[in-house]
Order: sequence, then structure tokens, then C-alpha cells
Amino acid sequence: MNSKKVILLGKYGVGKTSLIRQFMHKEFSDAYLTTIGVKIEKKIVTTNEGPLAMIIWDIAGESSHRKIPPSYKLGSQGIIYVFDLSRLSTYEALDRELSDLKTLLPNVPISLVGNKKDLLNEKDLDTIAAKLPLVDVTFISARTGENVEKLFHDLALAMVR
Amino acid sequence: MAKDYLLEKLKELLFEEQDAKTKELLKRVDKVEQGLNVRQELESKIAPILEDNTHYLQQNFNILFGKTVTKTMKRQIEESKDEVVEALYPIIGRMIKKYVIKEFELLSERVDRQMEQVFSWDNWIIRVKSWFGGPSLAHVMASRFVEPALEEIFVIEQLSGLLLGSYSKESAFDQDMMAGMMTAIKSFAQDALSKETQQLEIVEYETYKLIIKDFSSFYVVAAVSGPLNPHFKNKLDDTILAFVNRIINTPTMKQGLVSLDKQVIVGNLETYFSQINDSEQ
Repeated sequence: MNSKKVILLGKYGVGKTSLIRQFMHKEFSDAYLTTIGVKIEKKIVTTNEGPLAMIIWDIAGESSHRKIPPSYKLGSQGIIYVFDLSRLSTYEALDRELSDLKTLLPNVPISLVGNKKDLLNEKDLDTIAAKLPLVDVTFISARTGENVEKLFHDLALAMVR
Repeated sequence: MAKDYLLEKLKELLFEEQDAKTKELLKRVDKVEQGLNVRQELESKIAPILEDNTHYLQQNFNILFGKTVTKTMKRQIEESKDEVVEALYPIIGRMIKKYVIKEFELLSERVDRQMEQVFSWDNWIIRVKSWFGGPSLAHVMASRFVEPALEEIFVIEQLSGLLLGSYSKESAFDQDMMAGMMTAIKSFAQDALSKETQQLEIVEYETYKLIIKDFSSFYVVAAVSGPLNPHFKNKLDDTILAFVNRIINTPTMKQGLVSLDKQVIVGNLETYFSQINDSEQ
């Protein structure tokens, strides 16, 4: 079976581990436990090219991805960058963060993800979307599971393309 | 009317003293009641007594309750033998196993030193054999009791940490995740120590050792249980090198690891490494 390394990036507290938990086990917990270092999960996703094993590196959140050891990111074939829709500080410097990632990992598909959709209304979401540097952004809710499966499935397709 | 008045006056004269006493008594009862019901007042009176008692208990706890506590604990342990054994057994087991392996390693070193001083034909024959690639004399003796064993072997891509192939006698853990975690540990050691030219070579966990051999675009991890002796380590190194040279570093494989045929790697890992434990005995 084909395997791909996917890294999960984003500032602390944006819900990276909750997203993985929802994707892996269809679970959500309000308790916040900070990730230490890195946690690795594996999930098999079915694509039109056949099954794909996604080896997901849930990397502890930092104020900027520059503080994360480069070796954690090297060799990645997919990136999920998560921000918190209810915290401006988690997405105000997205331009620079994404540009750095594209330099470090050229031609690697990046999924930009706004988490905690359930905390905002449609009007607020539209306002936020207008400010974002990428048009292709997925709003999800790790709490309700909305768009979580789709997010990983779309990334899997982008990686095997 | 006058009669009533006189009677009332008489009553007053007769009970005047009694009334005064009753009122005084009621006042005292009120005061006592207040002393009991108002926390601060009660505390100020009782605290010194309690403090004295606490101090006395602290000083004489052993005399007063020592026997009872010991008896209770003994009874508790007696009644919960199974739970106590269950809790202690794995810890004691691991301690003993680790101790025995460590002692064998020390014994192996001691025997080696001892044998260097011994001059006999038999020893010379064994020593000559060991010089020509056979196991060391110390190892021959120690190996009758405890052998190192290769439990698992992994071939992992350097940067991505993706598993290229593995061979395992019996594996309980997901090998893709194991490969990822090993890469994360390696990366962490490299970044934390800021020594790019140096590599993590061994990870020890109780009686297990994870031996890491680095190559340019991939690395090999061998999980070994038991005391690692130089002979086994050399044999393992030789087998890994032979495997890499004959299977991975071939012209077709060198085209790029992405196109590596994982089935070829897995199949050959078994061929190369399944015999390594047998040849030790």
C-alpha cells in the first residue's frame, strides 16, 4: 500500500489534536491537553488510485512554524495548516507562514483549515474568508465533525494526483 | 380590691429573692449557650485542649496505635495477597531480568579478562577460533545461558520517516507508526544537540536496544533483546551491510527510493535476518 507523510501545523490551541481525534476516532473532548513534541497517527483513506496510508505527524503548536525543527517537516507529502476562526492571532500572519512552507516544501499540497466553525455565524465566516491569503480554505468543526472527513479525503486526492 | 392588692404585695415580698436568683441563673445559661454556639468563643476554649491532645498523639502515636496499625496492615496484605502480587510481580520480574542481563554482561567482561591470562591448549584452540571470526571465549561461556536476539528490523526513509520494509518475529505495534516515531526521535536528538554530522546510534529501553544504522537516504533500525555482545553486534552489522549492498544499493534501486519495490525489501529482509538468531546458538 502507498504511504504518505502528512504534517499538521498551526499555533497552539487551534485544535490540531482535536481534529485528528475526530478524524481517527469520531470523538471530541473539551479538555485541552497540549501535545508534547510530536504524535504520529495512521489512517487509511480510499482514493480513486486505491487505498492510501496517511501517516499523520501531529506536531506540537508553536507561535510560528519556524520554531518547529525543520527535520519534522522535511519529507512531507501533504500539509494541513490549522488556524482558529475565533482567534485572530492564529491567522493574521498566514501569508508569511504559508510562503515559508512553500519555500521549504515546494509542490507539496497545503490544506488551509479554519477550525471551530461551530462558534461563528455565516456572516463572520464570510468576513474572515475575505481576509485570508488562499481562496481554497476549508472551514471545519472538530467538535461536530463537519467537513473533517472531506478535508482529509481532498488532501489524499491532491497527494496521489 | 384591697384584698387583691394586699395578696399581690405579699407575693412580691415572699418571691422577690427567688425571682432575682432565677434571673441570674437565666443570664448564666445564656452565657454558656453563647459560648457553645459561637464558633470563635468555643474554639478559644477548646483549641488549647485539642492542641495538647494532638501533640500528645503525635508524641505517643507509636505506643498508642503502632500495634493496631501493624496488625491492620498485615491483615490487609494477607487478605489482598493477589492484588499485591499482581502489582509487584511485573516490577520485580523486570528488575530481576535487567539485573541478570547486566550481571551476564559483567560476567562476560570478567571472563574475557580472566581468559587472557590463562595458558592452555584448549583455551588456545578456542581463542584461535575466536580470532578467526568465531565468537569470543567469554561469549561462548555466557551464551550457554543468555543469548541476544534480533526481534525486529526496519528500513525507514530518512526524511519522511516512511517505512520501506520490515521483518518481525512477532510485532504488536503498528510498524508505520513505529517508523514515524523513530524518525521523530532521531530528528529531535539531531536538532536538540545541533550536531548534524553526528547521529543517534542506539536507544536503550530496559532489556531492549534499538540499534540505528544510517545510510544516505534511509536508515535501518534493529530491535535486539538480551545482552548485546561484540560478536552479535559485528554479525548484525555485517548482515545489514550485506543486505544494503546487495538489495538496496543496486543500480535499479538507486533510481530513487520512491520507486523501491517494498515487497522485494520485505522478502529479502526475511531471507537475510531470519537466520541471524539461529546462527547465534
